[in-house]
Amino acid sequence: MTSTERGSQHVQTSNEASSIYDLGYRRYEGERLGRSQAVRALYRESLRAAFGLGRSWSAKVGPAILIFFALIPALIQLAIGALVPVDEIEFISHDDYYSDIKFIMALYVGVVAPDLVGRDQRNRSLTLYFTRAITRFDYAFAKLLAMTTAMLAITLVPQLLLLIGNALASDEFGTFLSENWDQVFPIFGTAFAGSWLLASIGTLIAAQTPQRAFATVGIIVAFLLPLAIAAVLVQEIHASWADLAVFLSPMDLLDGITYWMFRTDPAPEDIIAMAGYALHWSALAGLVVALGATGLLLRRYARIQA
Amino acid sequence: MIPLIAGVTLRQVGRQRRMTMLILLGLVPVLISLLFRLTVEPIGNDYIQFSTGILATFVVPLVLPLTALLIGTSVLGQDIEEGTVAYLLAKPLARWKVIVAKVIAGWCLTYAVVLLSIVGSGGIVLFGEDAISMVPAFVIASAGGSLAYIVVFVALSLRFSRSLIIGLAYVFVWEALLAQFISGVRFLSVSAYTVGIADGLTDVEMEILDGTLAFAPAIILLVVLVAVGTWYSVRALTRYQIAERV
Repeated sequence: MTSTERGSQHVQTSNEASSIYDLGYRRYEGERLGRSQAVRALYRESLRAAFGLGRSWSAKVGPAILIFFALIPALIQLAIGALVPVDEIEFISHDDYYSDIKFIMALYVGVVAPDLVGRDQRNRSLTLYFTRAITRFDYAFAKLLAMTTAMLAITLVPQLLLLIGNALASDEFGTFLSENWDQVFPIFGTAFAGSWLLASIGTLIAAQTPQRAFATVGIIVAFLLPLAIAAVLVQEIHASWADLAVFLSPMDLLDGITYWMFRTDPAPEDIIAMAGYALHWSALAGLVVALGATGLLLRRYARIQA
Repeated sequence: MIPLIAGVTLRQVGRQRRMTMLILLGLVPVLISLLFRLTVEPIGNDYIQFSTGILATFVVPLVLPLTALLIGTSVLGQDIEEGTVAYLLAKPLARWKVIVAKVIAGWCLTYAVVLLSIVGSGGIVLFGEDAISMVPAFVIASAGGSLAYIVVFVALSLRFSRSLIIGLAYVFVWEALLAQFISGVRFLSVSAYTVGIADGLTDVEMEILDGTLAFAPAIILLVVLVAVGTWYSVRALTRYQIAERV
């Protein structure tokens, strides 16, 4: 039998509607889980990728080291609480925590975000995603959600550890918790708000380029350069317009949101205190920046070539 | 051959988009200085404090390393990545000459950006002041600093394929982050050498510069680093096998 004959026979036997395209491969007959399951799977896998789970050890090292660095202040407090049976030893407080680890946060976003969104652009797998049940909006949404959740490892986890450390340091664990119940809402609030703010900016920058190293440089510069510029402008230039620079620096916005939610005041030498705006303006500006970055991210994925 | 290779590299790297970004980065301190000069009526040594702040905590630890990193890892790294290094190495040319040419090219580009930043911001703030002698001190010190950074990053790009990430970790984790907690880091930090040399070259009292390296150790360590880095790069390129990679 020649190949032509075999081909014609094949066309005759198969279903008429699909006769041209049917190459005889086995079909998927199982249940199709649909769009929501696809989004959930993308979210789950992206979150695993953020910590390097299911990847080689070299993908795990960066996030792991940075998470450890971010935990160090809380661990020290925990150690003090466990060893010294004295009340009120405050190594670090909840409202200063993010301010002390802001450098580590910038590096963490710089390491994780390009890994989440850059890999698919580099491997040209966006085409494959968008031909399935998932839409462009779903993809961007799942990636941003995964990045925000990954941020909780260096925002919420250290804060909760610090709360436990303080509770252990006090005489009565239960009394401490009931007395400090009002701290719980700001802890969760700042963790979620801060994670979203930093994640949206980081993911937006990382989505612009498939080249990982450039994305990392871009993210770190985007967080640290405005911080330095705002510090110089507010400290050195005594004009009211220069004080507005604090609203352009994401890390200063995060500090402002944190002090606002904990209802405490920043130290007088703090840039936010020197700029002199009421703290709720920082919170509002943070919301605007996060919403803007999220919108731009969705727009980027609505237009990206795939 | 050295000037030829250096010239080709200058054109090749200098035309890329990252060069525009780096020049914009270098212009940020100049712009801030201009704002300062236009809006502030300084009293006493405000000028010196502002200028020290810009030069020693902005230009040297941020603009200089970032510029050197993006340029230093690409002068030779790009050739290796794209495979064009084979054509370069196949020429009857001593390999140390290639390293020298690439380092010179990277050094020129980096120094151009940093010079713009230092002369621009320092000149604008300190024009007509006695403390203007700070500016030449930083100009000379950053020449050494950019050379050392370029040598280190060229060596990194020969050793690792992901040299940009490793260099980034060196600049931001080692020099910037750990230096805040471990003061010994300054003995192995190019930006600390640069600030130390600048401090030693000027009589101007720069108040925020307590705890920097003294002039002599800074310059000795810098020379040692440049020598070791160059030696390592030459050795690595000499042992580079073309046939394996192409």
